[in-house]
Amino acid sequence: MHKALADWFGKRGWSPFEYQRECIESYRAGRSGLVHAPTGTGKTLAVWLGPIDEYLHESGNTPHNTPAKRESAAPIRVLWITPLRALATDTVESLIEPVRDLNLPWTIEQRTGDTAASLKAKQRRQLPTALVTTPESLSLMLSYPDARSLLSTLRCIIIDEWHELLSTKRGVQTELALARLRAWNPGVRTWGLSATLGNLDEARDVLLGSGPARTDAPTITAKLPKQIHIETVLPEDVQRFPWAGHLGTNLLNPVLEAIDNAQSTLLFTNTRSQTEIWYRAIALSKPEHIAQIALHHGSLDREVRNRVEDRLREGSLRCVVCTSSLDLGVDFTPVDQVIQVGSPKGIARLLQRAGRSGHQPGVTSRVLCIPAHAFELIEFAAARRAMQARTVETRSPLSKPLDVLTQHLVTVAAGGGFEARQLYEEVRTTHAFRALSITEFRWALDFTVRGGSALGAYPQYHRLARAHDAEQPGEERYTIASDKLARHHRLAIGTIISDLAMTVRSMSGKVFGSIEESFIARLASGDRFVFAGKVLELVRVKDMTAFVRLATRRSGIVPRWQGGRTPLSTLLSDGVRTLLEEARLGTYTEPELECIRPILELQSRWSVIPAPDELLIEHTSTRHGRHTFLFPFEGRHVHEGLGLLLAHRIARTRAVSLSITVNDYGIELRSPAPLDVSEDEWRSFLSTADLLPDLLSCLNHSELARRRFRDIARIAGLIHPGYPGRSGKTNRHLQASSELFFDVFAEFDPANLLLDQARREVLEDQMEVSRLRYALEKITRSRITQIPPPHLTPLGFPLWAESLRTQHVSSETWRDRIGRMVMQLERTADREQRSGRNTTSHPARKRTLHDRG
Amino acid sequence: MDGTQRAILHGSALCTIAGESLTLLPQRAIWWESASTLLLADLHLGKAAAFRTAGIPVPENTTTHDLATLSELLDRTLARRLVILGDFFHARSGRSAHIESTLDAWRSRHGNLEILLIRGNHDHSSGDPPAHLDINCLAEGASLPPFALHHHPTTDASGYVLAGHIHPAIRLDDPGTRASIRFPCFWFGTNGAVLPAFGRFTGMKVVSPRRDDAVFVIAENEVVRIGY
Repeated sequence: MHKALADWFGKRGWSPFEYQRECIESYRAGRSGLVHAPTGTGKTLAVWLGPIDEYLHESGNTPHNTPAKRESAAPIRVLWITPLRALATDTVESLIEPVRDLNLPWTIEQRTGDTAASLKAKQRRQLPTALVTTPESLSLMLSYPDARSLLSTLRCIIIDEWHELLSTKRGVQTELALARLRAWNPGVRTWGLSATLGNLDEARDVLLGSGPARTDAPTITAKLPKQIHIETVLPEDVQRFPWAGHLGTNLLNPVLEAIDNAQSTLLFTNTRSQTEIWYRAIALSKPEHIAQIALHHGSLDREVRNRVEDRLREGSLRCVVCTSSLDLGVDFTPVDQVIQVGSPKGIARLLQRAGRSGHQPGVTSRVLCIPAHAFELIEFAAARRAMQARTVETRSPLSKPLDVLTQHLVTVAAGGGFEARQLYEEVRTTHAFRALSITEFRWALDFTVRGGSALGAYPQYHRLARAHDAEQPGEERYTIASDKLARHHRLAIGTIISDLAMTVRSMSGKVFGSIEESFIARLASGDRFVFAGKVLELVRVKDMTAFVRLATRRSGIVPRWQGGRTPLSTLLSDGVRTLLEEARLGTYTEPELECIRPILELQSRWSVIPAPDELLIEHTSTRHGRHTFLFPFEGRHVHEGLGLLLAHRIARTRAVSLSITVNDYGIELRSPAPLDVSEDEWRSFLSTADLLPDLLSCLNHSELARRRFRDIARIAGLIHPGYPGRSGKTNRHLQASSELFFDVFAEFDPANLLLDQARREVLEDQMEVSRLRYALEKITRSRITQIPPPHLTPLGFPLWAESLRTQHVSSETWRDRIGRMVMQLERTADREQRSGRNTTSHPARKRTLHDRG
Repeated sequence: MDGTQRAILHGSALCTIAGESLTLLPQRAIWWESASTLLLADLHLGKAAAFRTAGIPVPENTTTHDLATLSELLDRTLARRLVILGDFFHARSGRSAHIESTLDAWRSRHGNLEILLIRGNHDHSSGDPPAHLDINCLAEGASLPPFALHHHPTTDASGYVLAGHIHPAIRLDDPGTRASIRFPCFWFGTNGAVLPAFGRFTGMKVVSPRRDDAVFVIAENEVVRIGY
């Protein structure tokens, strides 16, 4: 370490941690790598001081007494990529500190979607010494022809919170950008920062790709065990505690007490709608503290969120109710308590949230867990056990998302063009596309050059054009077909991140935030919903804005969270099974298990607690029909796939109409008549033979793939971005929905690989097909126990309760299906009529026919 | 409004409006047999081509497919007149040479057919069809008793309005699959009706009929009346 840097540590009375020293030295040795350290242990400095140290060595430490101006500052050396643009400002502030203290002639600036156009223009002439940016803004930079010369002095790229990007398409976008930067500057070093993951080395390999950066690259882990204390609020009378549900405000009183006993509390819930519910519940019970209680979630207006974050930092808030929007990065030192409402469904998530309190080295992080229903007690206990055993989930990197590749091809073409063979080799250095075949690459290229591989299928279409260079006849060079297309493309680049969001705005123009278009589409004028802690009434929808007014009636409909519920992680469900096995054998060591003991004993009495190598199937009759419950304990996604698969296979052997309901523990199949399936037959329904073809044919019967196409169409540039600030009218004749694209491709270009990708994404993400296969293999080795319990059991009841939201599989015709839907519609209409609701007709008005029950 | 009865054309439904018996076809058109007239709205020819010109890849054949469907209907009904309730072309940029030559061929196949086009909003910006196609272009409000022909839904004292423009659809919730699905529909109100868009590559807009309106959705290849 350079002497000036060592002095800097000395002056502040610090000495660098061993892992920080290791980072600085590895950097100095020219290596790339991944750093893993708990939050609040100085990992930002660990990677930031490397480049500073290098500069000090090179410049001979000539002192500078004036702060650097753009023109006299050192040219760009470091790109700092952060997944959240909200973190950019904080990051710049913490990076400036040592630079200022050491009087380095460095400038540090950010460039994100929020950056002023004037600053961006200056940056286009000369970049600062260090630039803090997002994956989208980096991609955007690469779409300008002068990017290469602007970045020619780059030494180091740092990717913050890499674990957040790792298994996302934005992560793949980052991988592709990194490959480009490395191709331009082969000596550039890449450093990633990551929270705890079960597959850190894989995370590092994904980040570094297969190029020279990979050589000798270390994973550096801080040996600074963070003390985390996990405690669960136990209901006083578990017999009266619900067996199912997710609202969980029955434990409001202990929560209020805990808030009173702490300086500043972050209360995490799993969904945005729960955030609204808890915020209202706390605000109603504590009207005197209303000014010190705030709400924070991803749909709120950025300014509102900034205000909340500022006040958190100052320590002037007692409690903030939030979702994962506050999971990341920002250091809120005054926060001394974290409350988790509902199961976190994964260990990494709970650790991340716990780390939001006690955000300094050496301070214990505390998290208080609030179960929403009885079985979450087990999940909290399992999470604590896993934490003590230091096990944590892995995140799998994505493979070959062709929509992202398509976008990248156009980006690179706009940024000065490419030679096809060279770009293929470059793309293959990324982890995501390491197995990309030349055929797939050719397809993506053809898709952007002439639409499809079939000649004549896409007349007049060009996004890329082949450039003819008389001097390089052997080359196959492509550039963007027109400047206009380049401008469109730049508008579209940012769209990997944002879902189609509608602005929620009052009639007088005040912006409350944004909400998914799919949610608003289900509302009619006059419908009420809770948003930003207020009850709002929808007035009308125009372009991408939902106009609202404050509702006069107090009751509201809570927005139903559209994003799928996170499934219980494999690790946590294994933990749950271990605890259940202990309970089955009569051992109750964890307080949560002791608390739920009466319920588990009831389960044993009426049925059994299944052993780890046992698949329990319960058969019960109620007035709603015959219920068959299976309990594989594999998480909601796997059960969803498994449920569809079972129904599909059962329907092949007998005429039956089945409803499917799933949760994290099991599957319910409901039928009008008894199912009567022998054990041998169950074994064949649950076999891995023909798994993929069977799942694919389930897919064709459902809307899943079609809905999945939404993202893909946007990323691949099918959805015209429109122009911000201009009326939506300009390009209305070029707007079409992703569903329409899906249908048109399916009918007129069925070989389009983007359709394939949609199916693959459903299989991999939504049904977790590899986990599903593993689950089936496990069942093959298990014994099957079929029991007809006298009542709905504690395990079966939550499934029964949830069966209002069910999947349905049968061999009905369209006519029957419509008949059924119309009955539903009529019930809704009758209800509206009874409630005297105004149902005048207006063609421009959307209306919901959805049963909100 | 009379009840629905199954009609001869496969998958179609019958309904009586303003004293006329109309056959609603799953190909998104109306066969008015007593006038030997086929009615449809919102053809949007060349829409895919307009997208492609703007650098958005949409496969070809949507236009040829639409014209082929139309030919098939004309052959099957032996219609003497075709009424298009607006939006013949989608955009000027979509009027490619390929589209125009396909149209020429299509027109010569139906040489004796009388064609009326009520000019819609897209027709104003993309221009009338070429004169040699012999398509009679009219302003909204043309009369074909007992009907008044429009593009935009409206009321008209001179007759029961037939219109397009909206691309109406009904959203139905399937309690079984938890999903809601949109179906294109024919929507008959007291003073007028809105036809679904005929073009294959066109969007839809969810509408909210009154209780006493008659709505027929098109599901797969079948027209089904739904009650309000």
